[in-house]
Amino acid sequence: MARVLVVDDAAFMRKVLTDALVAGGHEVVGEAGDGDAALAAYQDLQPDLVTLDITMPRKDGLATLRELVDIDPTARVVICSALGQETKVLDAIKAGAKDFVVKPFERERLLGAVEKAVA
Amino acid sequence: MSPADVATTADALMRLGASTAEAVAKSLDAICPEPVERGDVTVVPGEDSPFDGFPFEDGPAVAVSVHYVDGVTGGNVLLITARGARAIAAAMGESPAPEDDAQPTDLELSAVAEAANQMFAAAASATGVVLSQGVEIAPPDTRLLESADAAREAFDATPHAVSATFRACGEPCRLVQLVPNAFVVRMTRALDEQGSEQLSGGAGLSALGIADRVEPGEERRLDDALRDIRVRVWAELGRTRVSLGEAPELPPGAVLELDRKADDPVDLYVNGLRFASGRLVLTDEGEWALRLEEVAGRTAPAAGPDNEGALI
Repeated sequence: MARVLVVDDAAFMRKVLTDALVAGGHEVVGEAGDGDAALAAYQDLQPDLVTLDITMPRKDGLATLRELVDIDPTARVVICSALGQETKVLDAIKAGAKDFVVKPFERERLLGAVEKAVA
Repeated sequence: MSPADVATTADALMRLGASTAEAVAKSLDAICPEPVERGDVTVVPGEDSPFDGFPFEDGPAVAVSVHYVDGVTGGNVLLITARGARAIAAAMGESPAPEDDAQPTDLELSAVAEAANQMFAAAASATGVVLSQGVEIAPPDTRLLESADAAREAFDATPHAVSATFRACGEPCRLVQLVPNAFVVRMTRALDEQGSEQLSGGAGLSALGIADRVEPGEERRLDDALRDIRVRVWAELGRTRVSLGEAPELPPGAVLELDRKADDPVDLYVNGLRFASGRLVLTDEGEWALRLEEVAGRTAPAAGPDNEGALI
């Protein structure tokens, strides 16, 4: 079981991710709707893992990831991307993300990525 | 503007409109329980509004707009009835479509915005392929609009617009692409570069639209210059998609289902551009060959002993 911070600007996706993670036995310790809120929540909550959307207002997922890794080089991040964002995904993996899922994703794929990242 | 310029602009807009519309339709296909009905893709004349004619009679429609943030300027608006928006939201949550006519909730609007985000990311990727560079999108903006006039006021007018109609989750849906001049220039330049790389003969020039964009004398010179260039030609059985993570993990013996039935025609590509389709046949030497049935939109007459189509 992992303590997870869910970061996505879409309330709907935060709900989908939270429902899937809780159903998979994980605890969602917090949610954030943009990069700055995510960085603040990460430092407050010290989660085991972050699910991070790429396309967000103000500070996107890639910029957030880079700052997050600066704060905590051991941060475990799973990127949530849309089809067509392969370049961003590769950049995120290079920047330190552990894995990624492409929306719309199967619940099992998300849980598999989370379990692999925290193993 | 010369007739040749007009043809080039119209061609670029249609290519942009068609590729974006198909990417959006495929994304909707993955979301909606029923296949999405494709309608027309239309270049909207400058004096007209691309939002005119949308059925606002039954109440406010949901408009989700996404603009590009890197690579190009411009944007897309997805317009759908409130009922259609709620049906898409329900499909995103794998729930049955609601039967009442209530207005969408904030969570439902967020689901539609997320659907649009996925659609337009795929569409931006398709556009990036044409432009040979990455195209990034901003987060979607969602609003309810009461009328075509309200839609016209909500979004900055651009010199060009392309409209594509669909029927998704049983409801009318319209994709409006708002296209600045700079985008058209980039698009025409990219298409011209692709055309000069991919064509090898007069038939190709005409079939792929280049002949319509150059003067007759220029066409001959271009034709002569390109005739001897050797190009890669390949046949494609079908396609599927797997994630970047899944691909290296596929074991020997895995079966990937493609998007074609066994008796569907096979597509022929010339340097990446679909050019013809036909049927796989075996030659007397036991090698695969393709008997062409349609070449650049021209269909072969019924096959017979004296006319069996070209064999490649």
